[in-house]
Amino acid sequence: MAAEVVMPKLGMAMKEGTVSTWNKKVGDSVSKGDMIASINSEKIEMEIEAPQDGVILDILVQEDVGVPPGTIICYVGNPNEQLTEQNRSANELQAPKNEVAATISLEEPPANAASSKKSKETVRISPIARKIAESENIDIETIKGTGPKGRITKADVEKVLAERAAEASHPPAERDNPAINKETLPVAGMRKVIASRMHNSLLNSAQLTINMRADVTDLLSLQQEIKEVTQQRHKVKISLTDFIARACVLSLQEHKQMNSAYIDNEIHLYNHVHLGMAVALENGLVVPVMQHAEKMSLVELAAEIKTRAGDARQGQLSTDRMQGSTFTITNLGTYGVEYFTPVLNPPETGILGVGATEDVPMYQGDELQRRSLLPLSLTFDHRVLDGAPAANFLGTIKQYLEQPILLLL
Amino acid sequence: MKPLVVIGGGPAGYVAAITAARQGKQVTLIEQKDLGGTCLNEGCMPTKSLLASAEAYEKIKQAEQFGITLPLEQVKINWDGVQHHKTAIVKKLVQGIGYLMRKNSIKVMKGEASFLTNHRLAVRNENQVEEVEAEQFIIAAGSEPASLPFAPFDGKWIIHSGQAMSLPAIPSSLLIVGGGVIGCEFASIYSQMGAKVTIVEAADQLLPGEDADIAFTLQEELEKKGVAIYTSALLTEMQPENKKALFKHKEELHELQAEYALISIGRKPRVLGLGLEQVGVHFSKQGIDVNEHMQTNVPNIYACGDVVGGIQLAHVAFHEGTVAALHACGKDKSVNYRAVPRCIYTHPEIASVGMTEKQARSEYGDIRVGEFSFTANGKAMIANNPVGKVKVIVEPQFNEIIGLSIVGAHATELIGQGTIMLHGELTTDVMEDFIAAHPTLSEAIHEALLQSTGQAVHS
Ligand SMILES: Cc1cc2nc3c(=O)[nH]c(=O)nc-3n(C[C@H](O)[C@H](O)[C@H](O)COP(=O)(O)OP(=O)(O)OC[C@H]3O[C@@H](n4cnc5c(N)ncnc54)[C@H](O)[C@@H]3O)c2cc1C
Repeated sequence: MAAEVVMPKLGMAMKEGTVSTWNKKVGDSVSKGDMIASINSEKIEMEIEAPQDGVILDILVQEDVGVPPGTIICYVGNPNEQLTEQNRSANELQAPKNEVAATISLEEPPANAASSKKSKETVRISPIARKIAESENIDIETIKGTGPKGRITKADVEKVLAERAAEASHPPAERDNPAINKETLPVAGMRKVIASRMHNSLLNSAQLTINMRADVTDLLSLQQEIKEVTQQRHKVKISLTDFIARACVLSLQEHKQMNSAYIDNEIHLYNHVHLGMAVALENGLVVPVMQHAEKMSLVELAAEIKTRAGDARQGQLSTDRMQGSTFTITNLGTYGVEYFTPVLNPPETGILGVGATEDVPMYQGDELQRRSLLPLSLTFDHRVLDGAPAANFLGTIKQYLEQPILLLL
Repeated sequence: MKPLVVIGGGPAGYVAAITAARQGKQVTLIEQKDLGGTCLNEGCMPTKSLLASAEAYEKIKQAEQFGITLPLEQVKINWDGVQHHKTAIVKKLVQGIGYLMRKNSIKVMKGEASFLTNHRLAVRNENQVEEVEAEQFIIAAGSEPASLPFAPFDGKWIIHSGQAMSLPAIPSSLLIVGGGVIGCEFASIYSQMGAKVTIVEAADQLLPGEDADIAFTLQEELEKKGVAIYTSALLTEMQPENKKALFKHKEELHELQAEYALISIGRKPRVLGLGLEQVGVHFSKQGIDVNEHMQTNVPNIYACGDVVGGIQLAHVAFHEGTVAALHACGKDKSVNYRAVPRCIYTHPEIASVGMTEKQARSEYGDIRVGEFSFTANGKAMIANNPVGKVKVIVEPQFNEIIGLSIVGAHATELIGQGTIMLHGELTTDVMEDFIAAHPTLSEAIHEALLQSTGQAVHS
């Protein structure tokens, strides 16, 4: 029997997934567990494995076409197996919204495809939607309906118009010019989410960044001291990032205004700290959230960060684990960056950027010593608080990092 | 662990519970008071029962017009009877919800619920506390009357809507602060029953969300019944000791004495005491934040009905409750606010759907407006009720029907036609050939539509 491979649902909020790459094509043979495709949801990338040995009988969803979870994306079966009409129509039953995506991607449309195609007369569409579509010369068969039973509504037509307008305002002049040989990449999946979130973040808030350096010499030696113990006792190696995270959590509890969100002209202050940590992936960025970080000890926090970051890198982070953060930390130190301007993760009020530590000669009293300095960049929303309280908050983080013993308590 | 727990047994909560149970979930519903919530116990149903009594009385007083002779001086309101009619209906309806709970195998727990973790609730009933665990939660805790900062409810003189419907007797005089839906409904009830009613409203018209001319028709009718109405008037002081209120109107300070002062300045979502902070559910005093599936930022917790703010109406609560429950059961369901009717059960009634004329003008510029008055409608004349009008608003380019407002008898039933037009995104050409039965009040809607396209027959 041919096995159906479906677009998985990665978390409650997932509405659409895209096949970013097909590793196989129709006719290729596969063994159970082989990677057959990479998929891309609004938040994460994931590999899809072959469910059984066999060949790829049919591919129903092309690359970069978004489909709802549950949609069949391909069939794996015996080399000479025939797919029945029943097989094919299963998708329509399961995910009616997928009709468009599924039909365009059928490599060889079944013989009766033409007759099963909806005629313009039978397309479900509201009177006003039909009129607007006609006046704008939009083929109603190409519109995706979101009304009851897939009925096309006014909003659906307006969406198509808005997309058209957006395309028109950025004419792809260069792309069409063969003289300039440029590669263009579709902005889809995770890239699309990041693009719109970051752009909206800058559009919709008043961001300001301040910088400070913390002397982490003592912290680094403390880290060396306790590294072995925690590794043996708790199976976690405590990194500089973990100390910074803990310092942040403690400081956020002392400066509630920074642990907040600006929503609908109101400032929401939180008692809990759901700490977001930006994790770079090969082709994007996700922010796993350590929920209730204020209830965790340093070791617990470190363990949680390791698990979540690991999940993120393996594409196993459910969307539920990427929501609800109240403050975010982003670290570019490993890339040698010193200071930078982090962009707020909306609707949060603050984001801390961590740079690379640098060893410098510094006077301690009259004596010149080798000290390690950590550059910190805090971006905050000036609508929520002003420079002075933000500086105080950053100052508190600095204090904790400079008196690291407090982080262990 | 119980799969799904609903907090609150009002319209949002009981519909959510039934929907989830029908999807095969094991459901528990927690309610601290009576099933049916505000709507059944101190909102929609009891007010409409009082209005029905007031209207019956009004109709009987018109007997002469219909050729019926009565000893009119003997016709009077028996307040205990009015209250009995109301309580009997409420009781029956509440029992009906109880029956639906049993029929759908929903466990009903009595008590006040608050979150301990995002999977556990404490349910307090008198001095006992029980803990309930569940995978998913739907918060439908409703709303409560907002009070004036300088005049908290005392239940004796300063009262809220819940208290206003169970007064010991018809008050001789009543001050209503706030001329919104609830204030106008009570003004209608008590003025028809003989009370001297005064409305003090801060905005420059009654029912600030509705079309000015529609609201003005109601104002005129209320004034005919002796209601004193002050718009653009600001309450400045309340003196419970001598039952006196001071308010400023057109630069002039007025002093008013009344037996009761009903504060109806809006309702606030019941967001406190649920332990939302405990689990990190985002909320503000405007309500709990939700997405289009009625899901909060904590994915296993949903919220619906008055507690999310927005449009605080029972039918919206029904819809949101259904969406929350279906989405919690894995169905991809979103809310649809495409056409929400707004009904005001005053005398005359007001009902509308979609945009008001003012909103439409600011959105579309030049619009078409069609109107038809009930004074020219046969059925309204026969019923001795030729007051009010239908007003339809049409967008100029494609003739989409984008708003319908009705003031007049049975407006709240007639609006169903407008709701269908807006929900179906209909255009006037689709409606031109529509046949309205004759004689009916519905003819007025058809005539108004035709007038908007310049084809009216009867005006
Ligand atoms: C006077 C008046 C007239 C109205 N007339 C109309 C009308 O004609 N038409 C219309 O559409 N709407 C009307 N409304 C509005 C309508 O009543 C509300 O929109 C509707 O009741 C909202 O339903 P809900 O389920 O969200 O909340 P509610 O009906 O308020 O129900 C919430 C329930 O939750 C319970 N609860 C709260 N917190 C807890 C807790 N922690 N634990 C356990 N239980 C809890 C409460 O006891 C309550 O029973 C009227 C309202 C008023 C006040």
